[in-house]
Amino acid sequence: MKFKDYYAALGVNRDADLDQIKKAYRKLARQHHPDMSKEAGAEARFKDAAEAYATLKDPEKRAAYDQLGMRPPGEDFAPPPQWRHDQGAEGQMFEDMDLADLLAALGKGRAGGQRAPMPMAGRDFETSVRISLEDAHRGAQLNLELGDTAGDRTLQVTVPAGVVEGQKLRLKGKGGKGRHGGSDGDIYLHIALAPHKVFRADRHDLYFDLFLSPSEAALGGEVEAPTLDAAVVLTVPPLTRAGRKLRLRGRGLADGRGGRGDLYAAVVIDVPATLTEEERKLYKKLAEVSHFNPRHATIGEPANESATI
Amino acid sequence: MNPQPFEWTFLDARETLSLLELSQVSGLSVSELDELMDYGALAPLAAGQKPNLFSAEWVSPLRTAGRLRQDFDLDLFSVAIVLGYVNRIDALERRLCVLQARLPDDRARGVSG
Repeated sequence: MKFKDYYAALGVNRDADLDQIKKAYRKLARQHHPDMSKEAGAEARFKDAAEAYATLKDPEKRAAYDQLGMRPPGEDFAPPPQWRHDQGAEGQMFEDMDLADLLAALGKGRAGGQRAPMPMAGRDFETSVRISLEDAHRGAQLNLELGDTAGDRTLQVTVPAGVVEGQKLRLKGKGGKGRHGGSDGDIYLHIALAPHKVFRADRHDLYFDLFLSPSEAALGGEVEAPTLDAAVVLTVPPLTRAGRKLRLRGRGLADGRGGRGDLYAAVVIDVPATLTEEERKLYKKLAEVSHFNPRHATIGEPANESATI
Repeated sequence: MNPQPFEWTFLDARETLSLLELSQVSGLSVSELDELMDYGALAPLAAGQKPNLFSAEWVSPLRTAGRLRQDFDLDLFSVAIVLGYVNRIDALERRLCVLQARLPDDRARGVSG
């Protein structure tokens, strides 16, 4: 078993009182917590500090740790025989434990005043995955890489159809193994959806931009529209304005309960990058005969800003 | 290696948990969850009904708040405050996702590049 200098990890003297230990830990936690710092090695430094604090804040664990005396960090040492007895662990199981596990278990054993080892729940794993819209729709096979003191393992799982952006899932009992009758840990999976080149998802509904020419928007017609399955023909009503959303019911993402969300085509009216001479003439003619003024609703309203030309 | 047919639990409004189950998955004790309810930071599905049932939507924010409690050595009242902010951030992220879905993309907005 490797010795760890918990006092050095927190930067306090061995005779530091609880208040000094707490302040030192909070300062390090604020500095190195993964939510606060993205520096390389910050998470490892935070874990070292947290491990040290878990022992030194508890008088019984601290007393047990102090029994080990001062040693160089990383030095191999044999824990006192009484620790093995208190822990109730035998053979390989005891050898596999590190100093933090052992001190945590000793603390629990003593607190209960029992010789029998306390049940210890297995570790929970929490991980995030990014999947495509198609995988969210149809379900996805994933390899989850899990690692703990028992070693690394790969768990191949199928994420069910119907997950959405930000979905949280729990897989009970597939995390780390419990000890002494403790329950096995769980796996918590956070789902993120990768950006799609066509569709944007809102829960199980999908949106895409349907580009129409000015004449298609004015006259209506039939246009081809993409869906997750195959392209469909969409009827555009005459006088369709920009921003209007045309709904294709049941063409969105599977909701995992036998249904599907809807697909919305958000109308965008586009103009050609260049005009032929004939097109220019026709647009001019249209401008002459049309009384349509798209700014009519805003004319006469007070402007927030004055424009200078 | 074939994928194993594991039973996933969706941690959203379609699932409910008892107070004991919520304690087991969140890492917070039943008495700590009771105290969070006293502070108004945690609410059962139907107030005043026994036994209390909770939406599984609480699991993730409670685990986050519980982890921050352990990491920063927070007292339970601070956890109650943190829980409120965690839920608020989650709601804002969902709102942002909705708005991003409904806004036209760069081409439609005339953004080049």
